[in-house]
Amino acid sequence: MNRSRLMAVVQRELLEIRKNRLLLFTIFLPPLLLTFLPLALLAGMGSMGTGNMRPEDIARLQAASPELARYAPSEVIQLLALQQFLLLYLMMPLFIPMTVAAFSIIGEKESRSLEPVLATPIRTVELLLGKSIAAVVPAMLATWLAYGVFFFGAQFVMTARVYAGLLNPMWIVAIVILAPLCALLSVSLGVLISSRVNDTRVAQQIGGMIVIPLILLGMGQLAGIILLSALTFVIGSLIIALLDAAVLVLATRMFQREMILTRWK
Amino acid sequence: MIETHGLAKHFNGTTAVDDLNLNVKPGEIFALLGPNGAGKTTTVRMLACLIAPTRGEANVAGYAVGRENDAIRAQIGILTESPGLYEKLSAAQNLDFFARLYGLASAERGERVKRYLDMLGLWARRDDAVAEFSKGMKQKLAIARALLHEPKLVFLDEPTSGLDPEAAKLVRDFIAELKSEGRTIFLCTHNLDEADRLADRIGVMKQKLIQVDTPANLRRKMYARRIVVRMRAVSDAQIGAVKALAFVKSVERADARLVIALEEPEAMTPAVVRALVQASGEILAVSEEEHSLEEIYLNLIGGTK
Repeated sequence: MNRSRLMAVVQRELLEIRKNRLLLFTIFLPPLLLTFLPLALLAGMGSMGTGNMRPEDIARLQAASPELARYAPSEVIQLLALQQFLLLYLMMPLFIPMTVAAFSIIGEKESRSLEPVLATPIRTVELLLGKSIAAVVPAMLATWLAYGVFFFGAQFVMTARVYAGLLNPMWIVAIVILAPLCALLSVSLGVLISSRVNDTRVAQQIGGMIVIPLILLGMGQLAGIILLSALTFVIGSLIIALLDAAVLVLATRMFQREMILTRWK
Repeated sequence: MIETHGLAKHFNGTTAVDDLNLNVKPGEIFALLGPNGAGKTTTVRMLACLIAPTRGEANVAGYAVGRENDAIRAQIGILTESPGLYEKLSAAQNLDFFARLYGLASAERGERVKRYLDMLGLWARRDDAVAEFSKGMKQKLAIARALLHEPKLVFLDEPTSGLDPEAAKLVRDFIAELKSEGRTIFLCTHNLDEADRLADRIGVMKQKLIQVDTPANLRRKMYARRIVVRMRAVSDAQIGAVKALAFVKSVERADARLVIALEEPEAMTPAVVRALVQASGEILAVSEEEHSLEEIYLNLIGGTK
């Protein structure tokens, strides 16, 4: 792989994204909006105490997870909600770059800029990886920015003990390592889909399904089937990294220059 | 520079190109002439390693198509049917991106981008978004993109298509300049005048290659050379005097004109004139009959229907 050609693709894609202000707006605004909502809910929970939850239910939860025992009942509620909200920051990098990724190949085909690129010595893997990285970068910047806002705002709406939960290594692994890997998986799939269908809408619809596994993860956690921990996230990161590599290889193999140039109209 | 043997391309049972045998010499402008759907773009795409031939062999710039595609792509420049530029980026950013794909070093990139934008009169607009450019400017920028890495062989697919006469002339002049630099140019066009003016050799194509030759030879092959003698009046005696010349192939009378078929008009016209004068003919003008490339082209293409 030629690093210079790869970086040329990444930088050109980023330049185009930067010049499209509306696109930038749609990348950065939803994560920020989605950050204020959990903060408001956490603030509300803090003032509501345990709400509708019965003390015996909380006691049962504390018995099941000994680490919850040191928290007051209202804090347990906040802590559980916090875990759900943090899953949101794993979901963001999945859906934010999907539009960019889904448009990546079809868009170039539609604007007819793909043929001159394919006539250069660029390798398919350089083109696809470059496009994927360029879609991941703004998505991760938006996610980290939103997380930063959440991290800053959370100290004002929760107790110091619950807030300390944000510094749990589990979430650091999730936000710093797992989230970018998930984003790369999402965009690689998006680029693969984009190179196999000839309609942007179809690519986006198919790409949207990427969030389903994460929703299942969240539901599994709520149902107590899956227990989130630093180890879960490290193992998850390794699996996702392998999937990233596999999808990139698959996308490169499935990228048919001839079909894209001659059959797509 | 380009050699093909039995090159063919089929798409789902449809033959786009069939049994193409070409030999394009280094430094020449070779024009592939044909109607829409004749297989010109498919031919360029095969030679530029964008699509794979169904059958046959091709050698481009010394490398084999299908086996050494990366080497071929590095050696050629291509102007595709549509300019295909990044509209949101500036002219300079478009060129810089392609210069990087061709592996030019940073300092060299800046110099090349300036040189080609300058040559095509776009330097003053280098920082403007391509979306603001006219069709002619976009085409010129796409040509600059094809030349950035200074390829030995340049494919130009319909380079003046859709351009106004002024922009088309500028592009044609530029193509002529490229030839003077020693580059080989493979030109695809259905513009007969363009092929006639620019090309050293023309290949007339309609799925298969029908004829390949210089524009002058194509004219000779297709039509017998004839001179037209305009006279004050034509008599039977004068026609008889011309017919009596052994080298005259045929004589036709059209009002006060004689159309005479000759093998070599340059050598034989003086004898014809002498014979007519001796037969009391009053000659007003003598000229060689011209056939446009259009006539030849329509004849060739029509013959394949």
